[in-house]
Amino acid sequence: MESAFRRGAREGLRDFLPVSVGLLPWAVVTGIAMRSIGLSEIEALGMNLLVYAGTAQLGSLPLIAAGAPLWLIMLTALALNLRFIIFSAAIAPIFHGQPFARRLASSYLLVDGVFAVGAEKLLKADDPQWRWGYYIVPSVFNWCVWQSCTALGIFGAEFVPRDWSLEFMVTIALMVMMLPMVRNRPMLIAALAGGLGAVLLRGLPLRLGVVAGIVIGIAAGFAAERWLLRGEAA
Amino acid sequence: MIDGVWLWVTLVLMSMTTVGTRGSFILLGEKGRLPPALQRTLRYAPAAALSALVVPDLLIDGGEVTLFNPKLLAGLVVIAVALRWRNPWLPFLLGMAVLLLMRKGLGW
Repeated sequence: MESAFRRGAREGLRDFLPVSVGLLPWAVVTGIAMRSIGLSEIEALGMNLLVYAGTAQLGSLPLIAAGAPLWLIMLTALALNLRFIIFSAAIAPIFHGQPFARRLASSYLLVDGVFAVGAEKLLKADDPQWRWGYYIVPSVFNWCVWQSCTALGIFGAEFVPRDWSLEFMVTIALMVMMLPMVRNRPMLIAALAGGLGAVLLRGLPLRLGVVAGIVIGIAAGFAAERWLLRGEAA
Repeated sequence: MIDGVWLWVTLVLMSMTTVGTRGSFILLGEKGRLPPALQRTLRYAPAAALSALVVPDLLIDGGEVTLFNPKLLAGLVVIAVALRWRNPWLPFLLGMAVLLLMRKGLGW
């Protein structure tokens, strides 16, 4: 009889496979983008292994290119990664009873795609072996796809002419990521306020305008949510 | 541009924000819970952060805020394409094509 781990793994892969196709352009673009701001192949591969978070990687590239201070890069990466705290809190119960090493590996490997596809099934399942297979196998698969396609971009970047404004691919990538997020009104207001705030405050030293924009955006989103709720209640 | 040892320091610190956020509650186990108000507030952080990076790049060209520049036009094309079609490659192909056409073809 097939073990619970393998059944979980197979079901997880089947659910996750369609999502992983959408990942391919991201990975290739991230690879090209890292090279386009001047990282060497080794540095780009290193960033990919260490950080392993497309949004934070792409978001930090303009700041690294501009020589922004470390703490600002950290804050921006943190802001782009904050959603993982929510995912982590939501998915934590499925690791009940698992050893620390597995929890650590699972933390490093936690990505939007696997969470979005699998969180509901994972939280409903009772068998720890099935859950472990369903979570870890697609996560490792995602890691392999991401690393190999990014490497493709990293080593392919040199065949693209230098003066093609490739750094604009970063902006395109960030935009495409943002669009599905701003489908509701408070989110849209948060994004608009964040973007305009960053433009208006661009004169601040140390590229602080970015952080100021993020704070303004969060506050605006929160305020808009409150205001809309009050409107509905009245 | 940050390079050499400082780049690697930057990368290691960034990796800590990734594992730190992803691992926060997974590593804590059953000991921690996120207050719902904080959870709702945090939802706005990614959209605000992405926009704070994107909008200045689209609106500022050559150090000036301008509504007529090739990047903004290419950006609008990207938004239209991404909303209209599900193909994940198209926004990159068409966005870069518009930008290159205007910069190289029209010398803008």
